[in-house]
Amino acid sequence: MTGPARAELGSSLEHLVVGYVIAGLVGIGLGALLWSWRYLRDGTSPYIYFLYVLPAPVLVPAAMTLFGIGFTMKVVLIAFAALWPTLLNTLDGMRGVDQVKLDTSRVLGVSPLGRVFRVVLPAAAPQIVAGLRNSLQVAIILMVVSEWEASTDGIGYYLVNAQQSFDYVGMWSGIIVLAIIGTLANVLFVAVENRVLHWHYGARAVEGRNR
Amino acid sequence: MTPGASESTTATPVISLRGVRKVYGGTGSGTGGPKVALQDITFDVARGEFACVVGPSGAGKTTLLRTMAGLAQPTSGEALFEGTPLRSVPPAIGVVFQDYGRSLYPWLTVARNVELPLKVRGAPRAERAQRVAEVLASVGLADAGRGYPWQLSGGMQQRVAIARSLAYRPDLLLMDEPFASVDAQTRFELEDLILRVRQEFGVTVVFVTHDIDEAVYLADRVVAISKSPGVVTEIVDITLPRPRDQITTKADPAFARYREHLLGLVMHR
Amino acid sequence: MLRRSLGREGLTYGLRLVVLAAALGLWQGLSAAGVIRADEFPSMAQTATALWDLVTQSVLWSAVGETMEGWAIGLVIGVAAALLVGTLIGLNGFAYRSVIGVVEFFKAIPVIAILPIGLVLWGATLTMKFALVAFAVFWPLVIQVCYGVRSLDPVVRDTTTVLRVRGPRKFLTVILPSAAPFIATGLRVAVAVALIVDIIAELIGGGSGIGARILLAENAGPSDYPQMYAYVVVAGVLGVLLAGAFTVAERYALHWHESQRSAKEQTLGYPERKGLTLVAQLSPGGTTRPQGASPGRPGGHPGLAVRRPVPRLVVLVGRLQVAVLPAAVVDTEGAVDPVGDRAGPRRAWLVA
Repeated sequence: MTGPARAELGSSLEHLVVGYVIAGLVGIGLGALLWSWRYLRDGTSPYIYFLYVLPAPVLVPAAMTLFGIGFTMKVVLIAFAALWPTLLNTLDGMRGVDQVKLDTSRVLGVSPLGRVFRVVLPAAAPQIVAGLRNSLQVAIILMVVSEWEASTDGIGYYLVNAQQSFDYVGMWSGIIVLAIIGTLANVLFVAVENRVLHWHYGARAVEGRNR
Repeated sequence: MTPGASESTTATPVISLRGVRKVYGGTGSGTGGPKVALQDITFDVARGEFACVVGPSGAGKTTLLRTMAGLAQPTSGEALFEGTPLRSVPPAIGVVFQDYGRSLYPWLTVARNVELPLKVRGAPRAERAQRVAEVLASVGLADAGRGYPWQLSGGMQQRVAIARSLAYRPDLLLMDEPFASVDAQTRFELEDLILRVRQEFGVTVVFVTHDIDEAVYLADRVVAISKSPGVVTEIVDITLPRPRDQITTKADPAFARYREHLLGLVMHR
Repeated sequence: MLRRSLGREGLTYGLRLVVLAAALGLWQGLSAAGVIRADEFPSMAQTATALWDLVTQSVLWSAVGETMEGWAIGLVIGVAAALLVGTLIGLNGFAYRSVIGVVEFFKAIPVIAILPIGLVLWGATLTMKFALVAFAVFWPLVIQVCYGVRSLDPVVRDTTTVLRVRGPRKFLTVILPSAAPFIATGLRVAVAVALIVDIIAELIGGGSGIGARILLAENAGPSDYPQMYAYVVVAGVLGVLLAGAFTVAERYALHWHESQRSAKEQTLGYPERKGLTLVAQLSPGGTTRPQGASPGRPGGHPGLAVRRPVPRLVVLVGRLQVAVLPAAVVDTEGAVDPVGDRAGPRRAWLVA
């Protein structure tokens, strides 16, 4: 039953992956940049917050007029929307790094640039990962929404088509496929997270016991 | 006791503080007005010496240590490390913080934590591995390299922190109440460890503590700081025989006299 | 020298104005130069004019009202249900273990997938909107409430037992305040998610509200693009206002909790911990978290002093979170210091 819905997945997932990866890299990169330059951060923070809170689907029409209706539009939209949670969480996480760790790095002779990569980013990693997870959810939503109007393939297109032509079976199958995608993405994410942040969870477990 | 006067010094003291004053600005912190953490601190620490700094809570001991490390700049006065003014943290200084849980990096194994300063200084891989093994063995953690710091007990974590500071053979080791967060038993072991390690590595140590017993036990000289104003009350030479021992040294009547004298200084200020 | 004359705050605001002016100027410049084609994207001037026109007309405000309707109703339903269900599940270990898998599954469903069902069931109506919002808000919040309820510090739990606090009083004075920071985090997310889902529902499903206006403007063609983007700006501003209002409310309600203290105070562990003060930061990014806190879980280490002895439910005392009960006085070791430094014995006044 889910056959036709699944067939549409390929292109959608492609957009998702490309857009998400771009969002992740740019988000972390920009977050680190903003952390490093206080004036840049102070000057732009309200506008970044504005863009973070703006419901990204409202930009679909804008994206369509600027980029047409193909691959570029979808990837740009997904990347743009998914960028902000990662960026803000990266910034927040980096700002919250323990002063003791920073002092230690100065004493050990770590250069300012080295400090960013060796100390601040790892210390902020748990929060960055939280941001990335949030970004993934946003990316999935945008993946569907970007295909809602004037698209010719993809799971979002399939869904809206089914709904508008009262093909309830098709609609349900689309929903189920999406639900599975969402769950799988989550499971995958958690698995990777446990691997990458094993030190964090280990340390927390010990801390919990020592309380 | 005259600060800085001792028999043999024509050599440059490792740390030289002259009239160091540190004031924190008052606006916005809610407690109103600038806070004078240190008023006028003047003393020297000679090469190879083990100096302890004691004082009541709130006396600015930690601020003083950070100033000596180059992590903070004095508002006025001078802080010199081996003759040159401290502007940033010199490579030849090591610091052991009180809160080892926050100082050791949880995403690195014990060995990698200890290795980090060597990596940063560009030592080649083979040499790094050897140094790490050596220094871990010196602190009694020869087999702990592959685990993570948070898997170890408090005392062992502090040993890792000590090992990490010594890995690059600093000239000066600053320690900020390093054994305050461990239990008494472990504290004795760590005190003896630091004395051994000081012998072995020939490093000058400045050890901040609120524990008078500890200060008298470890030190060649004890610098007593008062609270308001933050000045050096007295510097006491400790002439107890070395090597020190937890039982016999503490049974020595001289120990009790030093203790009484210093407690009197610290408790009434 | 500029900093000295303006002060740090003044400099920051000045910087932000400069950035805004530069961005808007760039936009206008690109439009005027033809880099941005007039039939694809309106110029800054046009959008600003459209925005100004809308502000003075009722159609904008009724659209905002319609959006807020769906947002508010859906939020109330979702939050109430989540608090109820989350508490029940959290308190009962068996219930938690049986149900958590289902909840996690539903949480993982992208809310966008539910939209078609909503459209089929209710069409493009208010009911569809708030139903969708409630659904979207419910699942993550339930989990947050659950975690909060289950996160009781063992020390607090033991203290409560020793003080012989049980039953409903225990729930109200110990468990709920203990869970409050988690719930607050969940609520903050819920407030934002509710708005996003609401606007998506309007945008895609139709009906009324800001999202619907955007859709209408888009369909009307390039001549209406300035209106469309004006509405986009309105949507963003609305989001900022709602999130900001929530942050202020959260800071007030949870001022006693350590996650509300400034990051600098928490992370610089060196100064002696006396008379801690609460520095309110209205940073757009929300509260900063101390090292070691994982997302969704506020605070890392047990907290310290409260700023003032307002009759609150829970007082943080030294390393303990002590429940507040009527007419009980607990002597503490110099932790609660209401107004700066004060000599003499310190007491935590516990007032229900």
